[in-house]
Amino acid sequence: MTFRYFILFILLISALTAVAVRFLPKTLQRADVIAPATVYHQSEETLSLEKPCSNEHPEWRKEQIIEDVKIAESLSCEPDNPYDIAAMVKGVNNVSMNTLMQTNLADDALIKTDDLDHDGDPDIIRIKLEVVELNGASPDGNFLINTYDIAPGIQPGLWVYAPKSRGMALKNFNSVVATPFLRAPSPTIRVEQGDKVYITLENTHYLPHTIHLHGVDHPWHNSQGEDNDGAEEHPVFPGTSHTYEIKPRHAGTMLYHCHVQTAQHVMMGLSGLFIVEENRPDNWVQTFNIGAGKVRHPSVAVQKSYSQEYDLFYQSIDKRLSAIIQGANDPRLIAKRMSREYNITESFENYFMLNGHSFPFTLRDGMIVAQENENIKLRMANMHRASAAIHIHGHKATITAYDGVEQTEGLQLTRDVFDLAPGQRIDLNLDTQNDGLHSYGPGAWMFHDHAVAGTTSDGMEPGGNVSILAYKSLLDEQGMPKLHDELLSQLFNKDYYAKKKAVFEQGDFAHLLGDPGLIEPDLTQIIIFGLTSGLALGLIIAITRLYKRKQHQ
Amino acid sequence: MNKLRLMPIIIGLALVAGIKSSWARMDHEGMVMDEKGMIMNANSDKLPKDCPKISGDVAITIHAGRKHALKFNGKMFAFDRQEWDVKPCSRINITFINDDQIRHQLMIHGLPGYLYPQGMFHLELYGAGELKASLIMPGQKKTYLVHCELAQHMEKGMKAQLKVDGGDGDLPSIPGISKPVRADVYPVDWNNSAVAVMLICLLIGTLLPVIVIRNR
Repeated sequence: MTFRYFILFILLISALTAVAVRFLPKTLQRADVIAPATVYHQSEETLSLEKPCSNEHPEWRKEQIIEDVKIAESLSCEPDNPYDIAAMVKGVNNVSMNTLMQTNLADDALIKTDDLDHDGDPDIIRIKLEVVELNGASPDGNFLINTYDIAPGIQPGLWVYAPKSRGMALKNFNSVVATPFLRAPSPTIRVEQGDKVYITLENTHYLPHTIHLHGVDHPWHNSQGEDNDGAEEHPVFPGTSHTYEIKPRHAGTMLYHCHVQTAQHVMMGLSGLFIVEENRPDNWVQTFNIGAGKVRHPSVAVQKSYSQEYDLFYQSIDKRLSAIIQGANDPRLIAKRMSREYNITESFENYFMLNGHSFPFTLRDGMIVAQENENIKLRMANMHRASAAIHIHGHKATITAYDGVEQTEGLQLTRDVFDLAPGQRIDLNLDTQNDGLHSYGPGAWMFHDHAVAGTTSDGMEPGGNVSILAYKSLLDEQGMPKLHDELLSQLFNKDYYAKKKAVFEQGDFAHLLGDPGLIEPDLTQIIIFGLTSGLALGLIIAITRLYKRKQHQ
Repeated sequence: MNKLRLMPIIIGLALVAGIKSSWARMDHEGMVMDEKGMIMNANSDKLPKDCPKISGDVAITIHAGRKHALKFNGKMFAFDRQEWDVKPCSRINITFINDDQIRHQLMIHGLPGYLYPQGMFHLELYGAGELKASLIMPGQKKTYLVHCELAQHMEKGMKAQLKVDGGDGDLPSIPGISKPVRADVYPVDWNNSAVAVMLICLLIGTLLPVIVIRNR
């Protein structure tokens, strides 16, 4: 081959390469006259959808009396187990075997004895709490165990305090789903002012924890001269127990939380409401409110001034933190990743929950159900890592207490946004008189965090802590809000929160606002690219072989 | 005066204690429970269908607690033994001892449902203490799961296996016996000797063809 031909080949290869580059097929392409067609999500035929309400225990909704305990009506889709409530009011030691068998409580979970002030109710209260991991890892396969969905398909790793239970932590041996008793948030705990309360933490978890009684009157040491403040330096290690002792002199809405590696452990879910009720005669308080929400056996003082009472507990989750317990089984790896590799100063929140659920699951047990002309007591706590600004549509409620301290009438503010610093609590009087100020009338009114990230789940709206204040006439027989059927069927869908489904794919607008399909590939471009790049490659191989052959000659 | 005031309380307490003791050992659908723990589906006399008679009595003491996990790296709770092997149709008399201050369970799964509802034998201790119960194993050669079902206790080490007649294999993730299905990942210790071995092997691998070609 002469030098002239060699140059010619090189020029030809260069020209072909230039053409190939010019016609390089792309992953994104501008549309021609007609844009790609809309594609439809077929989830209606898959397992992604779930019923808005499974309606497992309709018989639990009605007002009833069990073990002489009056249990108020609860119209929600998932009402609390009334047998649990009876045992939590009377104490496990004061109910029949039959009632106890309808609960998950251990025989020593809650012991109530000794009417010390002779006013008709027990004053020595012994509470036992365990620590339960939800959505944790398993060495037996790529699945989570003791699962608990905060919203459709969303299973972040969580830790909760739970009343000491007995029996299985799973629904049954063939299931990985946690028994409904074990759930977020940690239960609200109620005691009476002046009660002698022993709170024993039996640490069933694989990392150390404590109970710090935030805002609750408690001496620094217990009667044994041991830690009573639940601070970081007195961890209760796995397999061990510790008893905190209190005799609270002041009533109000307080908190309890873990104070070991506090930033992480609180955000993992180890916090709950702790309420000290005013001392009144015959005041058998509901010691645990599982999953917070409606209090079906309010205290004597609350019943005197209010028609209903709700515990509203706001918490948030960083998905990177909660994923740590799902990524390993070795407690040493988990402790290292959580405390030394995870950095909370470089983190933010992804999930926002009201009473352990994010919308739309908040509709199952996180609604406020009202009628006109009621005064409803709301106890609100913010355990987000940042401030919350709770807004109730159609209403202005009145703050009666801050951080468990009652305000005099002149200091009680009537507002429609309630700002709550992290760790802060307020008591509200929600007055439903239709006067254009306190209430604009019946409706299925949203209430939510107005720090708008709080209305999303990992960025998907509507999610987060959105819930509904529903007037009774607007609930169906399963406790779900009427007039929302289409929206609900769209949102009780794992694919929606997995971001696989168009947000506005509804009715006539499904075509107009569904997902655009893929664009047709430009075949001319693909052919030109294929031919030129192939020819250039072939020429390179040919020229190399010719060159080698010439050298051998 | 104070003593007099206390009298009704003492009487009340005695009554409560009385109510409590009537609970103790209460039998409820195969369950016996008291304030220390519970036993479900114990069976000391009903024979499995494939057993003409009890082949013999085996006494097994099982301790549960975090101290038994010390010998297994990366575990938090464990039984003191991870495997037992018994003859077909044995009656096992179990003494279950909880060495921790928290709740632990001993559950055996996969048993015949006509003798053991849900195929399960279940002992539970609410804290430190001891329980005794018996069960009769079927004649089939099989490996049964033994575990504590509290959230994360099996996952963090409280898992064992009970073999009848040598069993039909090992279950996964039994501490010290079998590999997990999903093992944790740890950083590799690239120490000097490991690096040296790798470099030498690289050198040998490179030189080998050269030497072979030269010698031909």
